[in-house]
Amino acid sequence: MASTYKCARCKQKVEIDVNVRCPYCGHRILFKERGAAIKELKAR
Amino acid sequence: MIPVRCFTCGKPISTAWEEYKARREKGEDPKKILDDLNISRYCCRRMLLTHKEIIDELNPYQ
Amino acid sequence: MEIEFASLDDSLARFTLSGASTAFANAIRRAMIGEVPTLAIEDVRIYDNTSALFDEMLAHRLGLIPIKTDLATYTTQDKCSCGGAGCPGCTSTYTLSVEGPKTVTSSDLIPQDPNAAPVYENIPIVKLTKGQKLVIEARAILNTGRTHAKWQPTLVCGYKNYPVITVSDACDACGNCVDECPRDILEVKGKQVVVADGKLPECSLCRLCERACLASGIGDEPAIKISAEKDRFIFVVESDGSLPAKEIMNRALTYIREQADELEKQLGELSGDDRK
Repeated sequence: MASTYKCARCKQKVEIDVNVRCPYCGHRILFKERGAAIKELKAR
Repeated sequence: MIPVRCFTCGKPISTAWEEYKARREKGEDPKKILDDLNISRYCCRRMLLTHKEIIDELNPYQ
Repeated sequence: MEIEFASLDDSLARFTLSGASTAFANAIRRAMIGEVPTLAIEDVRIYDNTSALFDEMLAHRLGLIPIKTDLATYTTQDKCSCGGAGCPGCTSTYTLSVEGPKTVTSSDLIPQDPNAAPVYENIPIVKLTKGQKLVIEARAILNTGRTHAKWQPTLVCGYKNYPVITVSDACDACGNCVDECPRDILEVKGKQVVVADGKLPECSLCRLCERACLASGIGDEPAIKISAEKDRFIFVVESDGSLPAKEIMNRALTYIREQADELEKQLGELSGDDRK
């Protein structure tokens, strides 16, 4: 399943299929969104 | 962010950071501030003296 | 064996230990650093983190926060009745839920047990701007400095031999050694160099005074001689605030006794001696 990304310029949600490019504004820098899962870590 | 503890001896020095920064910006001599804050060892002193806060520069990039 | 305190409060202890071997002095030092348990955050559950710092970095920062430790209420996980699963007897939980703009500090960590709160309220964890959010749950457990330095109760913890300074009759009170001494221990009194009042324990045994004396052209032997008392030690113990310095010492000495008893028992079993 494709994960969701966020465009760095227009902040819209983007799905990546073939090109790494925002379909709304054409910007090529995307941020990967944080998953919903709870992260468990060791504090070391 | 300022490290929580001194790398060398483990003294929690981050508690002194806000006061150190405020007083240094007023132009006070860092030596005097550190002496006032009871940071006596040179390992702890360098933690504050050489720290550069960059969190405000990182924050715009979510 | 004797312990004499030069100063003692919750955060710092200075004392001289006399009539002990170097091995024993070092055993005390190692026990104080590595065998006295304290609380420190070990497990972190991150529900949400939109701050500029990575989850791992936040967890590491949380782990380094000193926590007030009451050793009467907490036990280490391997000795706990719950078998290490995590119960109020061996773990202390904290919740943190902050929305920016704000600097998250250790006072935002809400402890389940108010007696196990962070020592300092103003340790900055991360600075949040508008819209950033941090929701964390943390668990602190009791462990020793041997496992990880975050469980060390001590900051500075060390010893040195008690210095002995002898000035022979050859001294001509030239004062070169007085100028050379980095800790201003010596002074000229009359026609001889003497140790200033109460300054002797501060000598670092650097022997710069011996060299200055030789350089003044006194001959092949310096008139001032620095040596050390082999069975007397000056200790400095500084606490990070999680435990009072006195309790650190008490626990360390109890630990050494337990270990010694255990060794005796084991040796007794080996040799078939049933004195025990």
